[in-house]
Amino acid sequence: MTASIPGSVLIVGAGLAGFQLAATLRRSGYDGEIEILGAEPHRPYDRPPLSKEFLTGTMSAHDLGLDDPGAPLQARWSLGAPAAALDPATLTVRTSTGATHRAEAVVLATGCTPRIPAGMGPAGADSVGGGAAGLPEGAFVLGCLDDAVALRQARVAGARVAVLGGGFIALEAAATAVARQAAEVTLVAPESLPLAGRIGAEAAHALRELHLRHGVRFAPPARVHGLSADAGGRLRAVRLQHADGARAELRADIAICGLGAAPTTGWLAGTGLAFDGAGRILCDAAGRTSLPGVWAAGDCANWEPSGPVPVPRPAGGHWQDAVDHATVIGAALLGSGPPALPPPYFWSEQHGVRLQAAGHLIGHPRLSAGGIETADLLLVYELDGQETGILGMDRPREVTRWRRGRARRPAVVAA
Amino acid sequence: MRRVCALNDLEPGEGLRIDDTSPPIAVFLTEEGTVHAIDDTCTHQDASLAAGWVEDCRVECPLHASAFSLLTGEADQPPARRPVRVHRAEVHDGEVWVEVSTAAPNLPPGVTLP
Ligand SMILES: Cc1cc2nc3c(=O)[nH]c(=O)nc-3n(C[C@H](O)[C@H](O)[C@H](O)COP(=O)(O)OP(=O)(O)OC[C@H]3O[C@@H](n4cnc5c(N)ncnc54)[C@H](O)[C@@H]3O)c2cc1C
Ligand code: FES
Repeated sequence: MTASIPGSVLIVGAGLAGFQLAATLRRSGYDGEIEILGAEPHRPYDRPPLSKEFLTGTMSAHDLGLDDPGAPLQARWSLGAPAAALDPATLTVRTSTGATHRAEAVVLATGCTPRIPAGMGPAGADSVGGGAAGLPEGAFVLGCLDDAVALRQARVAGARVAVLGGGFIALEAAATAVARQAAEVTLVAPESLPLAGRIGAEAAHALRELHLRHGVRFAPPARVHGLSADAGGRLRAVRLQHADGARAELRADIAICGLGAAPTTGWLAGTGLAFDGAGRILCDAAGRTSLPGVWAAGDCANWEPSGPVPVPRPAGGHWQDAVDHATVIGAALLGSGPPALPPPYFWSEQHGVRLQAAGHLIGHPRLSAGGIETADLLLVYELDGQETGILGMDRPREVTRWRRGRARRPAVVAA
Repeated sequence: MRRVCALNDLEPGEGLRIDDTSPPIAVFLTEEGTVHAIDDTCTHQDASLAAGWVEDCRVECPLHASAFSLLTGEADQPPARRPVRVHRAEVHDGEVWVEVSTAAPNLPPGVTLP
């Protein structure tokens, strides 16, 4: 090892990016100290099934674990207490219990925290491992395992379910509520065509049609204005405000908030770190923050765009970005020229249809195969005659060929 | 051993799903010309590995990030943790023959044998 390789690494956030970074370092042969701090009491687990297979009961909490019980990751764990302060001068992190942790490099990987309707919960505070605090009984968020356990235990069958928000997690939650035999599932979003801004009108239209065929109702575009509870503290209705200012109420037994998520970075205010407008930590194209020795990965980070199509990646974050960030930071920490961050890739699953998108969904989508009615379309996005991205519904082979034909998997470097 | 397909049915770098075994198996012809057989169903969720990307004697699942060794069946990174079974594959006179492993398959949650 050369002198520039840190002798110890402190990872803040025991989620996907944090786990993957530690695993990458060990696979590369790194033998320094690795310590991982986590706000939740759980070992790292996989979040995507929390709005899908975990809610329908197909996957258990055990199935979600990221570590291999047969060959567990060699790291020191400090779980159940969130990091509360970072001293950049000494690279020391203090947790809510007052314990201090120090290393030669600090990697911030605290992910994001679901937003809750205005007027509910601890305003402005990072709330982790219990985002539902302050919500009436019957209202849920989906950010962490404990949130999903609560929703899984709720009696959804026969209930009137309101799903608040028009992002991926909201649409997935609506689909699982249908699968769990809710009496009614109504989606409330400010956009008339949810996700059109992210994936284009064509693909968004195909998703909307898929939901309609499965009985999901779309309320007229409205913002959530608040939740009303009965005297016993149980959810009674969702208060809405339509685009024209008119207010309305939607009666509901269960409300699932999919209103997006804010980066869990409030605890880093005052450290001198540079943030973007959404509160994500600004990083260079290898994950370095504005503070020496401090790196950031996953949903809490906004990396400088690089590559052939240098387009900034939207806030919110996806699974593959967290893994790719970890791979790049791992290589950079070990002193090798870090690989470029691969182009974006994400997936979703709704009503049993797998949606996958690779590259940048900009420019004009061209229908390359399939159709909207059959929920099997393949769209290729083109800008100035160049293919920039692809989106498929139940088209795993085509999307994988397109993606891997353009960007190979980054290789693990040796320490 | 049983015959599963003709060598001509395979394309270099592509997988072919063989459905008449339970669970189904995937047969691959690598760019280097070697033939391999593994369980077709990913151990993470219900995806067909025959639709995956073959490189360096591994197949990357077409859904998420795990890649399985065509030689040992091990997954290299999350989300899959358990290996797929590897079946012995041989080519005789242009026909692909496979000896299906007698080990128990590592099927993903929610997938059961018919
Ligand atoms: C319900 C749901 C469904 C999803 N579905 C998909 C999908 O289908 N496809 C897709 O591409 N992506 C999906 N995602 C997104 C994907 O899971 C994330 O992009 C990914 O987990 C990001 O990894 P991360 O490590 O940045 O954050 P996380 O995995 O969220 O990990 C962050 C960790 O940091 C911990 N933490 C927070 N604050 C502190 C603190 N102060 N101190 C210590 N620890 C702290 C948290 O408890 C958490 O464990 C989904 C996310 C959710 C919530
Ligand atoms: S289904 Fe294969 S890695 Fe998830």
